[in-house]
Amino acid sequence: MSTKKGRLTGEHFMLGDHACAEGAVLAGCRFFAGYPITPATEIAERMSVRLPQVDGNYVQMEDELASMNAILGASWAGVKSMTATSGPGFSLMMENLGLGIMLETPCVVVNVQRGGPSTGLPTLVGQQDMMQARWGSHGDYEVIALSPSSPQELFDLTIRAFNLSEKYRTPVLVMTDAEVGHMTEKVVIPPLEEVEIINRPEVQKGDIEPDLFRIYRNSPQNSPGYISPMVKAGEGYRIHVTGLTHDERGYPAMNAEANEWNVSRLMEKIRANRKDIIELETDKLRNAEVVVISYGISARTSLWPIEQARKEGIRVGYLRLITVWPFPEDTISKLAKKVNAFVVPEINMGQITREVERSTGGDARVFGVHKPGGDILNPRDVLAAIRKAAAAVQKA
Amino acid sequence: MSTGEMHRSERLRILNYDTPAVSDWETGLHPMDDLLRGERLPHIWCQGCGLGTALTSFISSLKWLEKNRGWDLDKVAVVSGIGCTGRIAGYVRLDSFHTTHGRAIPFATGLKIANPDLKVIVISGDGDIAGIGGNHLIHAARRNLSITVVCVNNFNYGMTGGQVGPTTPHEARAVTAQYGNYEFPFNLPYLATASGASFVARWTVLHARRLTWTLRNALTHSGFSFVEIIAPCSTAYARWNPEGKGLDPENLRRRGLEVMKHYQKVGKIDHDVHPKDAHVKVNNQGEILEIIEGEFLDETRPDFKEAINQRADLAEKYWLSEKGTLDKRKVLTSRKKRVPRKEIQLGGFGGQGIMSAGKIIGMAAAVFNNLQACFTQSYGPEARGGAAGSQVVIASSPIHHPHLTQPTSMIIMSQGAYDKYVADLAPGGVLLIDDELVTLPADHRKDIKTFGISATKIAEQAGNNRAANTAMLGFWTAVEGIVDKDAMQESIAESVPPKTIKLNLDVFEAGHKIGLTIDK
Ligand code: SF4
Repeated sequence: MSTKKGRLTGEHFMLGDHACAEGAVLAGCRFFAGYPITPATEIAERMSVRLPQVDGNYVQMEDELASMNAILGASWAGVKSMTATSGPGFSLMMENLGLGIMLETPCVVVNVQRGGPSTGLPTLVGQQDMMQARWGSHGDYEVIALSPSSPQELFDLTIRAFNLSEKYRTPVLVMTDAEVGHMTEKVVIPPLEEVEIINRPEVQKGDIEPDLFRIYRNSPQNSPGYISPMVKAGEGYRIHVTGLTHDERGYPAMNAEANEWNVSRLMEKIRANRKDIIELETDKLRNAEVVVISYGISARTSLWPIEQARKEGIRVGYLRLITVWPFPEDTISKLAKKVNAFVVPEINMGQITREVERSTGGDARVFGVHKPGGDILNPRDVLAAIRKAAAAVQKA
Repeated sequence: MSTGEMHRSERLRILNYDTPAVSDWETGLHPMDDLLRGERLPHIWCQGCGLGTALTSFISSLKWLEKNRGWDLDKVAVVSGIGCTGRIAGYVRLDSFHTTHGRAIPFATGLKIANPDLKVIVISGDGDIAGIGGNHLIHAARRNLSITVVCVNNFNYGMTGGQVGPTTPHEARAVTAQYGNYEFPFNLPYLATASGASFVARWTVLHARRLTWTLRNALTHSGFSFVEIIAPCSTAYARWNPEGKGLDPENLRRRGLEVMKHYQKVGKIDHDVHPKDAHVKVNNQGEILEIIEGEFLDETRPDFKEAINQRADLAEKYWLSEKGTLDKRKVLTSRKKRVPRKEIQLGGFGGQGIMSAGKIIGMAAAVFNNLQACFTQSYGPEARGGAAGSQVVIASSPIHHPHLTQPTSMIIMSQGAYDKYVADLAPGGVLLIDDELVTLPADHRKDIKTFGISATKIAEQAGNNRAANTAMLGFWTAVEGIVDKDAMQESIAESVPPKTIKLNLDVFEAGHKIGLTIDK
């Protein structure tokens, strides 16, 4: 079969959810397990059509618990894998997102966020799962989450999510929303040759004596953030992996020291590589008195109010979190010493606002623009918040 | 570049992998040593537990398959969940995955589908497979994927201290059923059969040799195979129930043995019985009176992977059609004139193609006129039947706000949509209606421009009233001039079913012609 098969290089007018699926296919995803849920269903629909065309497999599982596990299994078979869901399904996936993190398994989980809690607003937008993305599974860990603001970016970031997951051997979350997922816009699919595709560090049959192989090895130089190579099932290494606290062989180790070693390695590999993982878009931060910090669809709808405020003479800077987790606290903490206030628009009751507050350490005031799910933010509310932030600062 | 394509030495250099000097694989502790992780022994199981026998039968069957059927045991993967049985994955020297509680089967499903060359075996307990993972069991059986599920049933949750479970016999005792179990247990072979498994068997660990044979059959079976192994839990279950009661609580080995003796007494081999009747019969004290054992079912049906592969031709056909459309696409010159933000509302009833009309406009603008376009539609109950609405924003510069703030252009094809949307139109905006479907009221807005055509009639005359939306699009293109005519034509040709392209383009042309005559 031609290696070019399955590529839709060119310009498209494409649904966000479909763009996500196309990004996955281009990134090399060949296994999708999912369960229908609005507004993420179109990702599954598209994958069910596309994967069989590229020798991949689509499986509709019995629920999201199963979906999450199936993609972990597929990943250990050496195949790039993905699932997509929304709030209620995301909750079910938390159990085995933890397993994926613990086993250090590359895979991608897309959450097309809708209004919550519970069944909430199935068809309408929300950004209310941002903290669940960070803390949703039990125990201590670090996570990578990206937030796109257009179908094109959903395409691009799905590819990036696969690259990061392969590079750092961990599940990566694409935290999009109903607005972006259900929006149709121009999407340019570049030729594969122009796209950076990263594959996991991997040893193969015969590379190393199986009895000398360690599935969770420390760095030779003990350098932090080292990613130890993976091996897929069937290569003769007779590996064992477990969700229990384990040692470098993957064997259960039931004591506090082992837990410290295990948890530190999960956290360190993300923390030590923050520079590579964190992607931000910034505009006019130099000399800014007020900085708008936002992400996803809310960042996009903040652009008009920012333009307006600038016309009114307010020096507004803009910082968009393309990577939301790990959080760019260093950048914000430095910025807080220079600017007077932050405005944080988001479609929830202040989840990332609190992170910004934490990062400022009290050096700048923080004004949230909040509403629960159901609709994108009214640009006038964001403009009002920018004005308020600017005025409050002048008084101070 | 993938490390997979590199030479081994290069790969190892890049991976920066520090190989330990000494192996810690321990061997020589057990005759089955090459399949056991000696370094992990002794195991955590209690004396008198049936799990050791179950494990021995399992690895014996693998050794036999290696010797007599040429199996490459490097290709065998064992997946288990949580519980005493779940620990088996940690003791076998095979690729082994100790997953979360109940989730071994879906993990195995991913493993097997992604690499069909692997032999994938799930071994876990009754609580794991029939309790918390019950849903996964029935669905995996239904798919008839070629994996083997071995469920060791000890009638209770052993690892957590002996709580009642989905297989605890009625009236039997457990830590959380000290007054007697008031629930009824699953009959696992029957459950697996009813769910679609194509190989189903049950043995107690007393019949270790028969169990080994059955495991060979299950492992070589094409399709979903299910083997229940009934095993004594000497510590927990036997403590509470007649089989082990009254025995020295310290003498677990003895207790396990007594339970085995009991199995010998009550076990009845019957391969021909329908799984429905393959019971574990108890008296009103929960004491087991009879256990039916045997290989109850061995059927040949296409397995899951075969069923998927049968569809390869259809997938190819879809692909060629989609790629063909893309390859045929003409490249038009980008639109020279700057387009300030335009907001278009389309409205009608379900079935009129309000969504596709909006999408056609957006595609014409974005793909063929190289403008920015953002198309959104109403979802949910609102979008099913009844009123349908879609929105398009078009501009030369990036579209920040994806929703309409105040539409300047409207295409309305039903009275309901007129009532719903007309007030939103900006003063001076353009309203286009199908004038046979919309009757303007006496107090119709005077501050907007209203034009109508009989779109449905035009489409009907051309042979298909479902093309009324393209008549409206032709009309809109001529009146508004936001998007080029050829861009619209290309967009229509790509969007409608191939057989209706000509008809749609004719109808578009008819609408366009009338549009040109309008005096704006
Ligand atoms: S608790 Fe029961 S099942 Fe678990 S190891 Fe002990 S005897 Fe075996």
